[in-house]
Amino acid sequence: MHIVDGALSAPVLVSGAVLAIVGVFIGLKKMDYDQLPLVGVLASVFFIASYIHLPLGFSSVHLIMNGLLGILLGWVAFPALLVALLLQVVFFGFGGLLVLGVNTLNIALPAVIVYYLCYRGVRHESAKVAAIWGAIGGASAIVLTSIMVAFSLALSGESFVLAAKAVLPAHIPIMVVEAFVSYAAVYLIHTVKPEFITKESI
Amino acid sequence: MKVILSLFILLIVSLNLSAHNVVGGVYVNGADIEGEAGFSNGAMAKVGTLVKVFDQSGIPLGEVKTDDEGFFIFTAKKRITHVFEINMGAGHTLKMLLPADELPESLGEVIVTQPKTTVKHSENSRGLTLMQLEKAIAKQIKPLRREIRALKEKAGLRDIIGGIGYIFGLLGMVALLRERRLKRCAQSLKVNT
Repeated sequence: MHIVDGALSAPVLVSGAVLAIVGVFIGLKKMDYDQLPLVGVLASVFFIASYIHLPLGFSSVHLIMNGLLGILLGWVAFPALLVALLLQVVFFGFGGLLVLGVNTLNIALPAVIVYYLCYRGVRHESAKVAAIWGAIGGASAIVLTSIMVAFSLALSGESFVLAAKAVLPAHIPIMVVEAFVSYAAVYLIHTVKPEFITKESI
Repeated sequence: MKVILSLFILLIVSLNLSAHNVVGGVYVNGADIEGEAGFSNGAMAKVGTLVKVFDQSGIPLGEVKTDDEGFFIFTAKKRITHVFEINMGAGHTLKMLLPADELPESLGEVIVTQPKTTVKHSENSRGLTLMQLEKAIAKQIKPLRREIRALKEKAGLRDIIGGIGYIFGLLGMVALLRERRLKRCAQSLKVNT
């Protein structure tokens, strides 16, 4: 999901960056400053999640966790992910500085969509129902991210169907794992600290 | 161009996890330029991945294909800077540069220099030509190169902790600025009343 420097054409890079800046701006406007510690912890979770590669068959996958970030942070996912992605570029060399905008958009926009998609679901009284919505959110964030990655590649000259074919199958195992992790996370938060989720507006 | 790109994708559709960085290297072995391309998790580029070779101004010099270990050989014809471009699909492109001065002088653009250099070196190295010597050295340091590259790609615990530290520090700074602003607001309110 981290697109590297040099894979995208300049218009895609620029428009991605502009949209990401808009998203970050909205996120900063909507940020509730009492939530700062949560934002920090989740940004760190994302930062680390991409580093931990789980062996799966003869290859390996890593978690993205943008679904969970979206559920908990909403628009604030944009600034949180921007910071985390920037540090991933600096420390791990994932992606690149030029594509930072596109990468932020590709990962944070699905998070925001998931936030609205699961808004009611994760606020359900029953922890189980909420957790199932969490799992749906986790999985659909990955699907959306891979579609957006394929789309950005398509805009830069590769055929969309072929790019999607290359990106989507690779993300299926991540989707499954992510659904389980999000399920567990939402279940835990719902039981232990429901105010993280049930806060009316973020 | 589009057809070729699509072909790469088709080749890679099988199973390619896009989570990894692309890594690779090019080095000189006699008149040949050897190179490798792969992913940071140790997987190499798929068989038949096209490697395009350009000179510095973007004029194509030729194309080669990788073998099953992501390895390719390009025979340099001129002593100029070579640029290698590999597209491994799904946004994995790799651009590698081989500076002209790494290529043997005998490849000089001016052919006149060729006999001169070869004569000189065959005198010095007692039967071993410069080419042979370079080949032998290249062979010896190949595993070292690979190891250094792997080491470079590996981010350690220090990087992880450093990254988290940065995130927390940044948020701490935001909190601090916010706090100061709130305090100032409270003070000005007090003054007013």
